[in-house]
Amino acid sequence: MLEKDGEDMSGKTKNKNEKKNLKRRIKKYFPIYIMALPGLVYLFINNYMPLPGLVLAFKKYNARKGIFGSDFVGFKNFKYLFATRDAFVITRNTICYNLAFIIVNTILAVFVAILIAEMTSKWKKVYQCLILLPYMVSMVIVSYLVYGFLSNDNGFINNTVLPLFGAEPVQWYMEKKYWPFFLTFVNAWKVIGYNSIIYISTILGIDRGIYESAAIDGAGKWMQIKKITIPLLKPTVIMMTLLAVGRIFYSDFGLFYQVPQNQGSLFAVTNTIDTYVYRGLLELGDMSMSAAAGLYQSIVGFILILAANYSVRRIDPDSALF
Amino acid sequence: MGLRKRFMATMLIASMAATLFGCGSASGSDSAIESSQVAEEAKASGADVAQAVIDARKAKAEETGEYQKVVVSFFDWTGAPAGIDRINEAISEHTRETLGLDVELMIIDSAAYSDDIKLMLSSGEQVDLFSTCGPGYMTCVNNGYTLDLEEDDLLATYGAELKDLIRPDYLDACRVGGVLYGVPPIKDYAIQTATILVGTEYLEGAGYDVSKFEKDDLGYYKATWDDVDEIFEAIHKAFPDKTVFSTQDNLLTQGSCVDNVAGDYYGTLLDPANSLKIENVYESDLFKEWAERAYKWNQAGYISGDAMSDKTGASARIKSGSFMAMMSQSKPAYQNQINGECGRDMTIFDVGEAFMSSSAVSSFPWCINQSTEDPIAAMQVLTALYTDPEVANLVCWGQEGVEYKVNSDTTINWADGVNADNSEYYPNVLWMMPNQYAAHVWEGDPIDVGQQTADFNDNCAVKSKALGFTWDNTDYSAEFTALKNAYEEFSGQVVYGFVNPETGLKELNDALYAAGLQDYMDAKQAALDEWATENGIK
Repeated sequence: MLEKDGEDMSGKTKNKNEKKNLKRRIKKYFPIYIMALPGLVYLFINNYMPLPGLVLAFKKYNARKGIFGSDFVGFKNFKYLFATRDAFVITRNTICYNLAFIIVNTILAVFVAILIAEMTSKWKKVYQCLILLPYMVSMVIVSYLVYGFLSNDNGFINNTVLPLFGAEPVQWYMEKKYWPFFLTFVNAWKVIGYNSIIYISTILGIDRGIYESAAIDGAGKWMQIKKITIPLLKPTVIMMTLLAVGRIFYSDFGLFYQVPQNQGSLFAVTNTIDTYVYRGLLELGDMSMSAAAGLYQSIVGFILILAANYSVRRIDPDSALF
Repeated sequence: MGLRKRFMATMLIASMAATLFGCGSASGSDSAIESSQVAEEAKASGADVAQAVIDARKAKAEETGEYQKVVVSFFDWTGAPAGIDRINEAISEHTRETLGLDVELMIIDSAAYSDDIKLMLSSGEQVDLFSTCGPGYMTCVNNGYTLDLEEDDLLATYGAELKDLIRPDYLDACRVGGVLYGVPPIKDYAIQTATILVGTEYLEGAGYDVSKFEKDDLGYYKATWDDVDEIFEAIHKAFPDKTVFSTQDNLLTQGSCVDNVAGDYYGTLLDPANSLKIENVYESDLFKEWAERAYKWNQAGYISGDAMSDKTGASARIKSGSFMAMMSQSKPAYQNQINGECGRDMTIFDVGEAFMSSSAVSSFPWCINQSTEDPIAAMQVLTALYTDPEVANLVCWGQEGVEYKVNSDTTINWADGVNADNSEYYPNVLWMMPNQYAAHVWEGDPIDVGQQTADFNDNCAVKSKALGFTWDNTDYSAEFTALKNAYEEFSGQVVYGFVNPETGLKELNDALYAAGLQDYMDAKQAALDEWATENGIK
């Protein structure tokens, strides 16, 4: 909003008063800049200062020569991400899981947000907290919760649930076919509470007057949700999705490494770029290869987010991020 | 992901800051002297150079009232012990006299050590001496963290005692490309492979008579695999509710004499005492035999159905009381150690033979940080860690009268009211210590355990011909990464016997070859051949 105001003003007054305008603008928003300062400093230190270090991806790191003194080796550090038989599997897994997560999580989070926003019970806050709880739990703990269900010998499902139906125990950690579902489920369970917060706040920000007039015109709850809430949520959904698309080449390490208990027989459906890099580099301890993987992920993410934003702008300019 | 990324970010910032602001090398060095300058002068006047440097340091300390400090870093299991400041002060009190400097032990939790030490080494934070146990010796050398110990005759001049203490062939085993970057801890380099450990109470409960076994040189029962099958069957029958065998992926590392030259099993020496031919161990009869044994045990119900996903350590599971036996490697004075680890009396069956692999000596030497301000001081402290009993005792066991008390026969035990749980200083990493034999022997271990260990090393039956061979595999890191992933994908079911070896081994080998095993082995062989020619080994 801030930027838009500024743009409008300078657009109107053109070049003449631009300098004066700028000064006034800075003065006007000075307290806000001060408020933003810690965040900006953090952003600068955490995200901009390491940028020159990206050069490491093209070097063979040697502590004696330092980051900038080390020898250039071209694209050699990237080779391991492409030149192996696993390259296809890890890229496919990373992208497909993330696409599935984006779709499933968005639908569920919007659903939950609408439910909570429509709720009038005094327990509303309690529900909201409960559904947020999984987000706060460490993936390592989640992995053991899952293990408690799926363990071959002592698991809840093999020992209690399956015998109820007279079914044979399943070796869960050796059967690939179930895991795409498990991982999607665990991920959704963990993040929808958090994702729904943003949707809830958007819904609460919608002018109640619109609903009232709709109600007067005879629209039921369902009609109100369909015709008012969802259309007004659209920009937020698009923004959240765009952000998620930018991270489509990253995977939640804990989810793919801890939750399947780093189980070899499941690699075909659980190995992602992050877990692959981690397994290989854990022993090599090679900083350059690690930097190469990070650079590759962020560049692809950058391109994808630009492309996604471009297509959104073509279809609906108001919803585009930039 | 989060952790690794955050680590990278911190790493980069740290190194950026270091480059931008000149490494912060000026910090805290008011008390440091120009060691090399003093040494030059002493050399010119023909005096004892090492002593001259010590005297100069003392004089400087008189002047400033502050001693120069050398930081020593290694890991333990629980992070910095409660009594660390007291121990540091006790060591420093002694070294101020002998070396004219302070020593600070920086003990880091084992889970964090590998990352932390790399961060410190690349950011210019002060750490002068460090154990490569954690990050790995070759990783440290390849990343350029380590100092050439023979630069300017450093070892010969300031570590003369150290040089005398460690046999030249063991020192040579730590050379990489001819350069000595580290000094091995004095310990058992040879291992007694394939030791089967069974809880004594379970043997007794099953009424199994162990007196029929003869004892080997180390005093453990000599047994065959058939005997082991018989024992397992007996305890399985007597304790059907407990799992017989506590597994871990150590068939090759602890259960065989296969030499993992250059630190990995992708291309190994199957007959390391006689041949330098690199072969794929996963196609060998030896591995097949192991796979069949695991399969047989699994079919017989000796192995837990959760073996593949349960990452608890084998001995910790036995400690919990629901498992009865495990496999490990043994050495002289192993009984005390394993009883402690398993929390009960264990009976040791020796099924394998003694073996010293090519990397046995060089697996985790002690190194000097290449960016240390004063290599001379670091070398002198390193020497003290190996040769000064007072320092060794403090580092290994803590303070006399506080952590331990000395018996009349010079062995030691817990001081009154102290035990492993409440001791303020008990790193419990004796095997990593520079020289555990310079310190006291724990009650129950033979008093001459140092000599016994040296003999055990010397008398080892299967000694790898490639002892001391190291290989920088960074040119093959793509293959290595793929091999590692392929191994983890297909090995578990074979190693823990969940799949018929016929199909399991084929799957594993197909995956390994698809990941570039042949190229990797060829490169290793070429490097090994070159090394053998250089060192005149046939």
